[in-house]
This record gives sequence, C-alpha cells and structure tokens, in this order.
Amino acid sequence: MKLLKTNRPVKNRALPGNESLLRQLWNDPMGRAGMIGVGIVILMAIFAPWIARYDVAKMHAKDKLISPCAAYWFGTDNFGRDVFSRIVYGARVSLVVGIVAVGIAAGFGYLFGMIAGFFEGRTETVIMMVMDVIFAFPSILLALFIVAALGPSIVNTMIAIGIVNIPVFARTVRASVKTVKSTDYSANARSIGLKKMKILFKHVTPNVMAPFTVQATLALSGAILTEASMSFLGLGIQPPNPSWGSMLSDARKFMERAPWLVIFPALFIIMTILSFNILGDALRDVLDPKLKL
Amino acid sequence: MKKLFALALALVMALSLLSGAMAEENVLRYGVDADAAGGFDPHTISAVASMRMIGQMYNTLVDVDENLNVIPELATSWEQPDDTTYIFHLADNVTFHSGRRMTAEDVKYSFERILDPAVGALGNSSSYVGDIDTVEAVDELTVKITLKNINAPFLANLSSSYCSIVDKDVVEANDGSLLLADGGTGPYTLGEWVPDNHVTVNAYADYFDEAGKASFDAIEFYVMTDASARLAALRTGAVDLIVADTAMLDLVEGDDSIQVVSYQSRNYTGLFLNVNRAPFDNPLVRQAVNLALDREEIIEFAFNGKATVSGFVPASLGHWAVDVTENEYYTQNIEKAKQLLAEAGYPNGFETNIIVGLLDSIRDTGLVVEQQLSEIGIKVNVQDVERGQYLDAWNGHDFDIMVCQNGAGSDPSRAVAFFFKTGSSANIQDYSNARVDELCELAVATSDAAVREEYYKEAINIILDDCIVAIVASPQEYFLASPALQGFAPNASNANNFAGVTLAK
Amino acid sequence: MRDYIIRRLLSLIPILIGVSIAIFIIMQLIPGDVVSGILGIEETPELRAMWEAKLGLDKPLVQQYFSWIGKALTGNFGESFRTGAPVFPEIMIRFKISAELAILACVIAWIIALPLGILSSLKRNSVIDRIVRVVALLGVSVPNFASATLLILFFSKAFHYYTPVKYVGLFENFGTNMEIMLLPAFILGSVMAGSVMRMTRSSMLEVLRQDYIKAVRAKGAPERVTIFRHAFKNSSIPIVTLIGMQIGGLMGGTVVIEQIFSIPGLGQYVLTGISQRDFPVVQGCVLFIAFLYVIINLLVDILYTYIDPRITYS
Repeated sequence: MKLLKTNRPVKNRALPGNESLLRQLWNDPMGRAGMIGVGIVILMAIFAPWIARYDVAKMHAKDKLISPCAAYWFGTDNFGRDVFSRIVYGARVSLVVGIVAVGIAAGFGYLFGMIAGFFEGRTETVIMMVMDVIFAFPSILLALFIVAALGPSIVNTMIAIGIVNIPVFARTVRASVKTVKSTDYSANARSIGLKKMKILFKHVTPNVMAPFTVQATLALSGAILTEASMSFLGLGIQPPNPSWGSMLSDARKFMERAPWLVIFPALFIIMTILSFNILGDALRDVLDPKLKL
Repeated sequence: MKKLFALALALVMALSLLSGAMAEENVLRYGVDADAAGGFDPHTISAVASMRMIGQMYNTLVDVDENLNVIPELATSWEQPDDTTYIFHLADNVTFHSGRRMTAEDVKYSFERILDPAVGALGNSSSYVGDIDTVEAVDELTVKITLKNINAPFLANLSSSYCSIVDKDVVEANDGSLLLADGGTGPYTLGEWVPDNHVTVNAYADYFDEAGKASFDAIEFYVMTDASARLAALRTGAVDLIVADTAMLDLVEGDDSIQVVSYQSRNYTGLFLNVNRAPFDNPLVRQAVNLALDREEIIEFAFNGKATVSGFVPASLGHWAVDVTENEYYTQNIEKAKQLLAEAGYPNGFETNIIVGLLDSIRDTGLVVEQQLSEIGIKVNVQDVERGQYLDAWNGHDFDIMVCQNGAGSDPSRAVAFFFKTGSSANIQDYSNARVDELCELAVATSDAAVREEYYKEAINIILDDCIVAIVASPQEYFLASPALQGFAPNASNANNFAGVTLAK
Repeated sequence: MRDYIIRRLLSLIPILIGVSIAIFIIMQLIPGDVVSGILGIEETPELRAMWEAKLGLDKPLVQQYFSWIGKALTGNFGESFRTGAPVFPEIMIRFKISAELAILACVIAWIIALPLGILSSLKRNSVIDRIVRVVALLGVSVPNFASATLLILFFSKAFHYYTPVKYVGLFENFGTNMEIMLLPAFILGSVMAGSVMRMTRSSMLEVLRQDYIKAVRAKGAPERVTIFRHAFKNSSIPIVTLIGMQIGGLMGGTVVIEQIFSIPGLGQYVLTGISQRDFPVVQGCVLFIAFLYVIINLLVDILYTYIDPRITYS
C-alpha cells in the first residue's frame, strides 16, 4: 500500500475511517510521540481553569522573580505572576490563535483554489496572481501590516496570520482540482454547470484532504511562531492574557536574572511545534507517502 | 558540522582580537536604544533619539543648568530693557562647522526660519518662541528680540534645541532642509549615519568654548534596540556606555567592571482620564481611581523600584513642585474609593479601556493599574497599541484612560499650561477650568518669579483636587558604563553632555 | 525559451500595479500618519496643516497616488517623507546586505540539511532517521528572537565575545563582515534547515523507489554513484523550489534578526517605514520585494531545465 504508484486520484483511500487512521498513527512510533504531545497541549488548553493554580493576571508584590518552588512550580515573573498558570492558559491562547488562523487560511485557500482550478482562464490568472502577491510578501511583515491596519487584538492577530497562509492552501487545492479534472471521472461525466461542479467537489475534497491535513499541522506550528515574532515586534496579543510567544518575548530582558521565564515558554513552544510537525510527518506517511510537503 | 562552525567562529574571533588590539583611537562608543528618527534638523525633529546627536552638533543662545538657572551659551550676556524686549550679546569667536564666523545675522536668520510657516518648525508655538514679533541684528554681535506679548519663560524656552542657531548657507545648499546636513556650531560635526546601525559625530577643532570642547575624537552612537544586546556589548567592551533598562540593574549590582550612572528625570508617568466621557466626567469616580492606586507598588513593578512618587510637576522642578505625598488622593484607600464609586452611582463598578504603548514602563504601569482598579470593581481592558495608534489616540483625544509619560520641561508653563490649559494642543483631556486658564495667563504675563510661583501653585492644586489625572511616578534614568569612563554626569537638563568626559584607557 | 522569459516578465506589470494600489490603500487605512510621527507631542492644527502641505498630503488621494506612480514609472521611487533621502538608492544598499544574509543563511541551511536529509532517507525509519528528523525540527521550533538572545548572552558570558558593532560591507572588510553576519546567518539557517531536510528526505525517498534506481543498483554501480549522480540529482527539483521560496521569503523576513543584531537590512527599512507611516519607503520596498520574488521564481523555473532537460518552456 505504501508503494502504490499512480498519478490518478485514489478514491476513498485518502481518508480512511478515522479509527483506522488513528490506529495506524499510533502504531508508528513517531506518530505516537506526536499524538501524545499534541494531546497534552490540547488537554492543557481545555482544562486550563482546573489545572492553573492562580489567576493569570494576579500579581504578588512580595513574590517577584521567584525561582521554581513548591508554591510556584515554574517560578514567578517580574510582576510576581505564577508562570505555571500562565503557561497553562497560554496553551489556550497559542492553540486558539493557531487553529483559528489555520482555519481561516484553509477555508479561504480551499475556496480560492477550487474557484481557480474550476474556472481556469482569466479567473484563475487573477486569483493566483493575488495569491502570488500575498506570497511574495515576507509573512511576518504582511502580518504586521494587517495588524497595524486593524489594530492589535487577538482576533486581528488570527486574521492576519490566516491571510498570510491562504496561498499555500489555495495552491494545494488548485493542483488537486487540475489533477481530478484531467482524469477519467470528470471526462466521463463531462456535463455542464452545477453538475460538473458537484463532481469536482465530490472527487477533489477527498483527494485534497491528505495534503490539506498535513499542510494544516505544519501551518499551525508556523502560526504559533509568527504570533511569537509579532509579540517581539510589539504587535502581539493584548496583555494581560498570556500567549507563549508574548511570554517569551517579555522574558528576554530577564533571561539572565530569571532563566525560568524563558525556559518554560520555550520548552512548551518547542514541544508543541515538534509534536505537530512529527504528527504531520506521520500523517503524511499514513495518508499518502508520495506527498511532498 | 557544528565543529566546523565553531572553528570558523574561533578564527574570526581571533582575528577580531588582533584588530581590536590595534585600535587606539580616542572614541566614545555609545549603545543607544533607538535610531535617530528622520534625521538631524534641530528645528523640525522632535524624536528624543535624534536629540542625542543634535545636542552635540548645535548650540542655542542660552542653556539651562541642573537647577533650572538660565546660563550663557552662544550669548555671553543679555539684558531686558522692558518686559517684551531682549538684547543678546554674542560670543565673538563662534564659527559654524563650515568655518564661517557666526554673527547676529545668523541668529536673525535662525529665528526667521523657525517662524517661517513653510518650514513647519516645532519651535513656532507660544510654548517656545512663537511669540516673537521682530528679530533685529543691532550690530555684528548684538541681537534684539521683541515679543508680541509678555512671555515669562521665553528665556528658558530658548534653551530648547528647537531654537538652535543654524548656518544659512548650509540650509540653502540643502534645499532648505537640515535633516541630513550639519549647519551647526557645536563641539561635534555630523560624520556618517548608517541607519539602523550607527551615527558618528566627529570632534570640531574650532569650537568656541574651551570648557565645552570635544574631549573625544569622535562619538559613535550604536543603535541597539535590544536591551540584552546592549548589556552584552558593554560587558564585552564592544561599547563604553549604554542606555540602561531598570531590569538590567539587578544584574550589574556589585559588578566592579560596570559603573552605574543615573539622574532624576523631569518626566512623569501616569493616568490621563477622559473628563468628557462617562464615567470620568464625574469627579467622584476620578477621586476613586486616584484612591485605588498603590503608587509604590506600581513603581516596584513597572520601574523596578527606580522612580519616585510624583505629580505632574515633579520634585526635580525644584521650587515649582508641590509635595504630592501630602495630597489626600495619593494614599491608597480602597474602602473610601468603593464608597465614592457607590456615591457616584457605580456600586458594582464599571468596565473601561486603558490605552498603553510606546514604552515598557507605560505598558507595565497599565498592567498594574488594571489589577489595582479591579479591587474596587472597575474592570479595565488593557489596549497595548502600536505607536501610530497611540499617537492617534493622543491627537484625537480618543480614550477612556491613557497612560502617558510626559516631560515636565524646565518651567511650569510647560508642566501646567501646555497640558491643562483650555485649548492647548497637549491638553488631550479637553480639560477646561476657567480659574486654571486665568492663572496660566497671569503667570506667563508677569516676570516676577515669586508671583508666578504663587499662580502656578494655585493652578496645580486645583488640578490635583479635580483629580483629572492620576500621576504615579517620576522615573530615574540610568546609564551603564565601563569604569574607564570618567566625568560623565548627566542631568535632566542635559542628559547627553559629554563635555570634559574622558575614557581612561 | 526567450519568449517564455519575456512573457513572464510582462506578467510582472499587473502584479506590481496591484501591489502598489494595495499598499496605497492599506497606508490610508492604517491609523496614524507620518505627520503625527514627525510632530509627536508638539502637534498643533497649524503645524499639521503646514506639514501636510509640505509633503503633498493635502492633495486628493487619487492625485497623490498618480503623482507617485508617475514618478515610479521613470524609475524614481520618490523621497522618504521623514529624511527626504531618495528611497531607491537606500533600497539597493540594504538589499545587498539582506541578500548577503539570506544567501549565507541558505548555505548554512544546506550544509546542515542536505547531508542529514540524504542520510535520513537512506536509513529510513531507523533510529538515526528519527533522531535526525527531531534534531532538524528543533531549529524550526524555537522563535529566532529567543535563540538570538540566548546566543548573545552565551557568547558574552562564556567567551567575552560580541559581534562587531560597526557594520562594514562585504567588500570593505571581508573578515569583519563575515564576523558580523555569521551568527545571525547561523540562526536563520538553522530555522531553514528543518524544512530543507524534510524536503530532501521525502524527495530522495521517492526517487529511491523508482525503477531506474533499482536498475542502476542492479547494474552493480557503487552506492555513492547511485545516490549522488542518480538519486540526488533527480530529487533536487523540489529542493531548488523550496530554496527559491526561502530566499524570497528572507527578503525582509529577516527583520527580527536584523533588529537584534543591528544589521541595516531591508527588513528594518520596511519596519521603520511602516512604523513611521513613511509611504514612499514602504511602497518602494514592497514593490522591490515583490519584483524580486517574481524574478527569483523565474530563475528557479529556468534552473529546472538544467536539472531536468526534459522540462521545456514554450
């Protein structure tokens, strides 16, 4: 099955039943590691209020910059805030930013890719040109631009990172549409109008799921990093809400005085991104070993 | 692979040590936190980062010392035949960097340039020299300035770099702009500017004043926006002096290889409440906000303890200041604050927005205030905005609460009238109190210092009692330097004065 | 081939016009303007009016745009609103610096990633493969401002070393320039290495599965020849694509590292332009970056024909 060689889209194979997909992932050691890592982060985000030990914004005047101890597992920051609780809640912010941004990117990317691939001709040229323009811009600068225009807030950060990532998804979908179009299914069913579109949707969607899922896991880690860089450049999410990126950026001044302020957010960022990447790799191996992403 | 890289790095490091050992020039290398913004035209540049260089390149007629006394600079003496006339006698050995001698005509030209609407000079307002009626070159070294009306702080205003004396020939040779040119008389001339990396100013050998003469062959200002990069550069000897961040101070405590230099600034940080917007139009609410603040705690968190509780006329303004610690609204009283809120009709508090930006200390102040106000039931949303938006909120007077750091200047005409008089451009709260306006006008129109002090103190107390602002603290400014740097004694009037400073190498 | 290149270059025109209109609109939408930056706290309505007139901002928007585009067509990107210095020469100076940084970063990324990628593909699913993949990912996982700060701290504490503070060009002093650039390039390169490694690995895997490789092996060719002459060469197309994209992305995308290491590159120029609302600077830089991106893509496409002679463009 791994050596399946064909350029034709394969019906119903790209998305095996969810159960077997998960089982296949679990059987691969890398896949298992990725799943565990991602699972931990997601659980942390969901159960943040029960896991966190203090209010994330609560300042403890007498406990400024305390190193990790029984009362504060990950130490405290320059406001005497509990780093552990902020990390736990930060998982929420970082994940939500990542997921919503990738959702925006994938949704619009799917739409534009479909339209471009379906209509071809001028529509395609224009859409792909717009995608090229977005792609041509260094993503961090474009995101900065958008946030500067809309005003910094968590929603606008998500929108900005989302827009930046649209072209990758649009390209993936367009390529799939073209492959499907050139094959027998559509040739056989080459009627006009809606019907044609229906066929396309029916065949493209399953075929695009594999590259899409893999791309999404990669884009997610990219989104978390972009958010961190934006925090560094002063256009991140709004305080006192913590994101791992903003925690790391704020902590730079204290790297020497209080290394735990840097170590813990960095560790969690690394763990999350590693997990998502490994999971993406494993997913690709399971879904379609021929994918190059 | 990593070994290869380490080897390559070791090689270049060894090379650099060799080249470092060869350098024996008398240059001050100064790590600064921001690049010159826009250039170096003393009349049109307001950015503090550019002032560092402009201060070395240009002179003004007079200067203000640490204790706010007006002292000679290009003008050796002056007299005031009547309240609106000033006569300045210029030093006779002043030359521009082109070598041309500076005369009364140049002073006349400089003020004409400032007052020329087409130039858009920042000094063209009554808080600087906008009240000038005529400038006359009486003879080669005598200038007579007449004002349209009495302006008591006029002499002190002349010490601003916005009133620098510039070289007409250089201005004309550069199409009217001094942004990238040097038309000054100062101890250093503009060398090169590599934006985002460094600015070099070179010693001017023919500087007119022996005491103020350049003690370095050059000063190199290195742009290092990252605080930890600045500290690393200082520690390794890559630079001799850096602008410090209060968070660094803990790290260098007890470190003999680094000296700490500081001065008490005339800036203050605090909350500006929008008095025309509910609920801050209610004096009770404003009093409650003031009473809810624990200023010492804000200082501890936002300034690492390196600031003093202050009003909008900081103690560093000497006799002009009012001791705010005696003010009833400066001591935290949560119970009273809650009670006042209830009286004002907000027993359960309310929700409001606070705008912060520009500086870490401004943002951190906002964060602590958010916590403190939540104690009395006020839910604050902190909006940490980008520079352009911050300025928009400032200029558009569009905010509920805004945390600002302002300079109190060298005279209460700045500290009081500029920020609180009706219609003044920096009165971002659109505050309007007839008595304050009257007092400000009276104080500008009299030259009797004692009477002015009385007027201003009355105005200050009215504003304090109105609780329209909740000023927190006046920060201490810090530099870190190599122990070799000697004689560097910055003060709030001149934070970058390198006259007589040396490097014992 | 020549027709193809000309056609591609012509397609630049609508892209650049689109970009310039987009930038113009965004700059209008962004809160704050260049005048409030210039005047700061000293702003009065009179001073604002003076500056708007001086910079031509009092004219209707459409006229402002066309006067800019008119100049741009003659190759003049205008002057910075803040310093009055012409934008284009400054872009060229900074482009050279950013390009050097980007190329160095790429070279470092290849040196790390290509061998690891090939190794990993040959030892597929072994322990070595897994370790290599995780290590390669580590570089991608850390925000580069954090690793930069950490390295600066480490070098200053452990070796009493800091990169030279005064920037010198590559041709002024090669040694010093390399010393300034190597550390930042290493940080950028280690980030890129992850994706290059991943791409190398998967392309190699695919090629190694092909029948002709089996044939070459069956012929008894030495393994080294099989891998490098046949497998690697044929799997290099996607790698070249990726590298092209990365160099393009690094133009201006290096802004964070440039800021920390005080490197006067293109990224900082755009960033300053954005924060000062200096329209001619932002417009000039963005157009230049877009132009560059298209050219790099074209070069990559041309490069394909050398790697794989079967590819032709008509």
